[in-house]
Amino acid sequence: MHEMMFKTLLKPRTALILMFLILFAMAFFFDDASTIYHGYIAILKSPSILISDYLEIGGLGATLFNVATILLINVIMISFLKTKMSGPVFAGILTIAGFSFFGKNIFNTIPIYVGIYLYARLQKLDFKSFLIVVLFSTGISPVVSFMIFGIDWSGWFRLAPFWNYWIGIPAGVLVGIFTGFVLPALSAHTIRFHKGYNLYNIGFAMGILSMLFSALFRSFRAIDLDQGGPTSEAYHAELMVLTIVLSLIFIAIAYINDPRVHKKYIGLMKSSGRLVSDFIRDYGRSVSMLNVGIMGLLCALVLWLLGFEINGPMMGAILTVMGFGAFGKHPRNCLPVMLGAYLAVVLTDYTFDGIGMMIAILFVTAASPIAGRYGVLIGILAGFIHVAITPLALVFQEGGFNLYNNGFAAGFVAALMVPFLEALTKKNNEEEEE
Amino acid sequence: MKRQEIRILTMIIRELSLVMLMNNHDTFSVTLEKRPKETRFILKTDTLADELLTRMQEKVNREREMEVETYGWELVGDVDKQSEFEILGLLIDYMEVEETDGEMVLTFVRKSMYRE
Repeated sequence: MHEMMFKTLLKPRTALILMFLILFAMAFFFDDASTIYHGYIAILKSPSILISDYLEIGGLGATLFNVATILLINVIMISFLKTKMSGPVFAGILTIAGFSFFGKNIFNTIPIYVGIYLYARLQKLDFKSFLIVVLFSTGISPVVSFMIFGIDWSGWFRLAPFWNYWIGIPAGVLVGIFTGFVLPALSAHTIRFHKGYNLYNIGFAMGILSMLFSALFRSFRAIDLDQGGPTSEAYHAELMVLTIVLSLIFIAIAYINDPRVHKKYIGLMKSSGRLVSDFIRDYGRSVSMLNVGIMGLLCALVLWLLGFEINGPMMGAILTVMGFGAFGKHPRNCLPVMLGAYLAVVLTDYTFDGIGMMIAILFVTAASPIAGRYGVLIGILAGFIHVAITPLALVFQEGGFNLYNNGFAAGFVAALMVPFLEALTKKNNEEEEE
Repeated sequence: MKRQEIRILTMIIRELSLVMLMNNHDTFSVTLEKRPKETRFILKTDTLADELLTRMQEKVNREREMEVETYGWELVGDVDKQSEFEILGLLIDYMEVEETDGEMVLTFVRKSMYRE
């Protein structure tokens, strides 16, 4: 009886609540309430565009508080909606938590949720039918913060300064609602563009929207689109420990649920990871949680080998990769694309001096289904092309409104490679059959 | 019927046809039966490999998930051998198998979830 209760407690949802408690406790362990409060206000008031490292803006305590509260709100939301903790839902929650280190906060995410809710009403469907889009939608949330805190409305309209919020807040909220309203239809459409080989499909859809916003904002020269800030590596040790501890918790949960879980892991590793690969549904929660933990340790190992220090965006990338350990990513399909990305930097004029290339080593795993389906060499090539395309993708989205820039780039990588590879594979199959 | 539902229904027919042809079944028919609360796809074929039938049942009889359906339905009908039935299974509630006079009849049932 006790054993059954114990095992029931060790579900993915429970793991996320445990994660909330650890983050919340850590926030108050590192900083006092006053420091957290002031740091949190600074986070809420930042334009939050790429790259706004909340560790630099608000400090460690306030950032962890932001991550913990966003995590809790979303876990409560899925519980309230009585949604099953599937692979995509788990990935969505960890992605939200990750990006709460650099761009997402309670203030800029809610209007987008409202937009999706209105779309669901229009479609006469339950809001929870769009839960996957909801969870990934907030990658474009900086556009809300930017409208409110990034534009000098009073200067633009030659009004008194207090008008900034009177114009900025409604404008930001309306743009957020509009974004949420169009995203479900757009993301359902974009999935065909890359045939499900880009795990960050909504990042691709948001890249298109972000292009629109960039184009519109650029039409007004008075708007400063270059507001990204520095990153903070001051908390590398703490965040490395956090990564390892969280990974070990997920692995422990997997083994407590099923002591022979590693024997089933081979089956998961054979999956290509192509959308919509729900590992929790297909292989069970124990195997999925083991994979989540292993992906976390893999990230820590890669960063240690490359000598990278963890900052806000890097921590966001780690949690995202861990989340997708339940929704398409595993070491067999991720390592080739990571190697390809690494080679693209060391063999070309790119360097690891900037944060963009550093996080690309982890976010390149958006294209991991290509390696999962077509093998190691093609995976390495996909990783290489991804790194070449990523900086260009950012140019199209000037302003940094899409936090999932690598998802935008991975969409093009898959769209470039997959049709040709499919044609080639079909030909090989025909030859084999003949 | 909503246009999106119509598109999903046609893509299910496309995927069923694609799977049959990819698995070297050259003679089959797919009939659609629209009822008030569900849509039935009736697939008739003279033979069906046991292994294919098992794969179909395993994937199709899984619980339907609306949130995955609204996210990934556009991928239906765009499958290869590795991914067949992955998305289709998410759009079908259950399937029935009947064998009569040397003919296999597979009925795939999709309940109507979209409110008019």
